[in-house]
Amino acid sequence: MTGDAISHAVLPGIVIGFFVSGSQRGLEVIIGAGLLGILTTLIINWLKTKAKVQLDASIGITFTLLFAIGIILINMLAYKVDLDQECVLYGEIAYLPIDLWITDAGFSMGPRITYLAILNLVLVSGFIFLLYKELSITSFDENFGIVIGLPAGAINLALMSMVSYTTVSSFEAVGAILVVALLVVPPATAFLWTKKLTSLIKLTCGLGIFIALAGYYLAYVVDSSIAGMMVAVGGVVFLGSALIKSIRPNLLFGTSAPGKPLEI
Amino acid sequence: MITHVESPILEIHDLTVSYDQSPVLWNVDLSLPAGKLIGILGPNGAGKSTLIKAIMGLVPITGGYIKIFDRGLNDVRSRISYVPQRESVDWNFPASVLDVVMMGTYGKLGLFRRPGKKEKKIALDCLEKVGMQSFTDRQISELSGGQQQRVFIARALAQEADLYLMDEPFAGVDMATETAIFQLLQEMTASGKTVIVVHHDIHSAMNYFDWIIMLNLHLVASGPKADVVTEELLRKTYGGKLNLLTKVTDIIRQKDFNPLKN
Repeated sequence: MTGDAISHAVLPGIVIGFFVSGSQRGLEVIIGAGLLGILTTLIINWLKTKAKVQLDASIGITFTLLFAIGIILINMLAYKVDLDQECVLYGEIAYLPIDLWITDAGFSMGPRITYLAILNLVLVSGFIFLLYKELSITSFDENFGIVIGLPAGAINLALMSMVSYTTVSSFEAVGAILVVALLVVPPATAFLWTKKLTSLIKLTCGLGIFIALAGYYLAYVVDSSIAGMMVAVGGVVFLGSALIKSIRPNLLFGTSAPGKPLEI
Repeated sequence: MITHVESPILEIHDLTVSYDQSPVLWNVDLSLPAGKLIGILGPNGAGKSTLIKAIMGLVPITGGYIKIFDRGLNDVRSRISYVPQRESVDWNFPASVLDVVMMGTYGKLGLFRRPGKKEKKIALDCLEKVGMQSFTDRQISELSGGQQQRVFIARALAQEADLYLMDEPFAGVDMATETAIFQLLQEMTASGKTVIVVHHDIHSAMNYFDWIIMLNLHLVASGPKADVVTEELLRKTYGGKLNLLTKVTDIIRQKDFNPLKN
């Protein structure tokens, strides 16, 4: 749920970045949002460990507070400009082809967001590839990671920075709700089908791509909101999986048949 | 009744640990010999787990110091192995038994390096030692409590350390498994390793440990089993729980008591 929290909590960072840079697409916006994302995880952690607030409560408090501050900032400072809650919340994929990256020589390089997304893909895949074992150990048993001398705090911080960067670079295009849906639904659905980490990652990627493509073409066919249709497809895929699993719970990939009894 | 030793493997000097201003361990001062199976006994809330966590640097220390192999913790991390309480992690995490045991080898691997054949062999050997070789590819969410505990012990073995700290490794484990694991621990101490175990059951503690630490916020006793298991010290450790104490006195009377034979 941290992704959910971050995607909302980065709003003040975006607004502040917007004012520093004067446009929605400056580097400052991404840096501002990234910093807010890290700040969010730090506050959540602090509330949980030092103030002994439950995890769900500390997530809820942190992101709603920061999101509210963001909305207040927008209303106070940005009412005249093209930055409102609607655009932050829902985004609009259909406008992406218009938002081109044009070089100084006047040559069009294609949609600007595509490059942000490619950079994002490279960073995240590289991060997971290099730190696969460290990430799995700190997510499963953080204390054990600390005990064997891993910089668990730094790894967690890096992971959270990745989540914030992913959120920030995509939600300008697709809006906070679709970001959250695509962060949460594919892995949650994949987790219903497999309990093996590598298959889980592969299945998550596949599902994400499927949901995006199916949502896009369905929206095209019925002439409706693309982001809305993608979330709907994701929801249907998840509910369908949950339904199948509740009827046939043994239908699993990546799990083993019951082993022999223990011998001492 | 606190016995100190020459050239200890672990030396704790005047250790005080507090959570939110209230101390949970007061002035613990002890030293432990190498190559022994050491038990930490005490009632619930006596600070047994806290003592282990303080040694592993997982809780902040209010006062005193801890020396392991006569060095600070950060110099000797690769020589210490730790088994946390089973409930401390989410067993729904998507990983196989082998994955978790391999994690034991990561400390020696270092950042960025991937585990290879050598690490896999270590992990498989350790799984065999705890009798879990037929569960190698099983997902950890499909294990029973006792099996989870064995996986944690296998992971600790895979660290190939000299000093092992185990936080209640026998919680929720049946008698047969407990005996098997105790035998394994005795083999380890026979080959020169030191094993420190937080333990609840006084019966099996009497049977297996060489050295016993009794804790109840203060250190009540630390010494060879024969010296410290007395009615007076047990009474001091467990307070007024008379029912338990009569049982303990019974055990002390029949010195050759063996729960497995009864």
